[in-house]
Amino acid sequence: MRHDIHLQGPGFALRPVTETDSDFIIGLRTDPELGKFINASSPRREDQIAWMQKYYARAGDYYFLVTRHDGTPEGTIALYDVTGEGSDKRGEWGRWILKRGSMAAVESALLIYQAAFERLDLGMVYCRTVALNQPVVSFHTSCGLATFGIVPNNMIRDGKSYDAVEQRLMLTNWPAVRANLSTKAERLARHLPPPGNPARTKIGI
Amino acid sequence: MTDKDIEAKVRELLALVLEKPIPAAQPVSRANEPKWDSLKHVELIFALEDTFGVRFSEQDMAGLDSIQSIVAALGRRHAA
Repeated sequence: MRHDIHLQGPGFALRPVTETDSDFIIGLRTDPELGKFINASSPRREDQIAWMQKYYARAGDYYFLVTRHDGTPEGTIALYDVTGEGSDKRGEWGRWILKRGSMAAVESALLIYQAAFERLDLGMVYCRTVALNQPVVSFHTSCGLATFGIVPNNMIRDGKSYDAVEQRLMLTNWPAVRANLSTKAERLARHLPPPGNPARTKIGI
Repeated sequence: MTDKDIEAKVRELLALVLEKPIPAAQPVSRANEPKWDSLKHVELIFALEDTFGVRFSEQDMAGLDSIQSIVAALGRRHAA
């Protein structure tokens, strides 16, 4: 859906995706390494734009571009299937792809949880990660998410089905997770080159 | 500090961060250790910086993806 949620952290930011991001998104999603645990994507711009039109019409779907503070795209992330009311309001986050070598993982996770709990007032956020994608399952555990269970045949790709691990973060646990991720994101941001300096500044010892 | 000393300390820090033993001489990298996730990677980088008194650039961080590459990077800094 079209939304207007913008979030800024110490080193990165989230903004709504637009059709102008199509080439960047296609590049990420068709990268053989980055895209191997997500649903297959067409490499054609027309298909991406058609997908975006359907996305705009879909309620409860918030798709973001992860950027540096100078606007340079770093990746994508989304919160979707947002349903329910009050403390039962929940949503899934995913479409999480960052450029190779990106250090935006911690902060982009922090920002999507901020969107979920502080902007959209969700009571719970969950993510379903292909079980074979062990580093991402481990990342969610390290962040403080509880493993809920296995979702059989959650993704079908190239005729093969994959189970997913569902992990959840409840609103009650958000303050502790926020504190942990914020501390790390703030220190990490001090290693980033200043906005407007595309050269990756080498910081000496 | 010799490379051997550096490696022993790196293994000790990695074991603390990953909360599992890292046997001496066992090659460990992000590619073969699923618990070495993106959050643990950041924690390891900070532990290395605090312990060795160094500061890694953003570009360096992505390349510190194995015990071998970390020891080499720290060795270069100590030699400089």
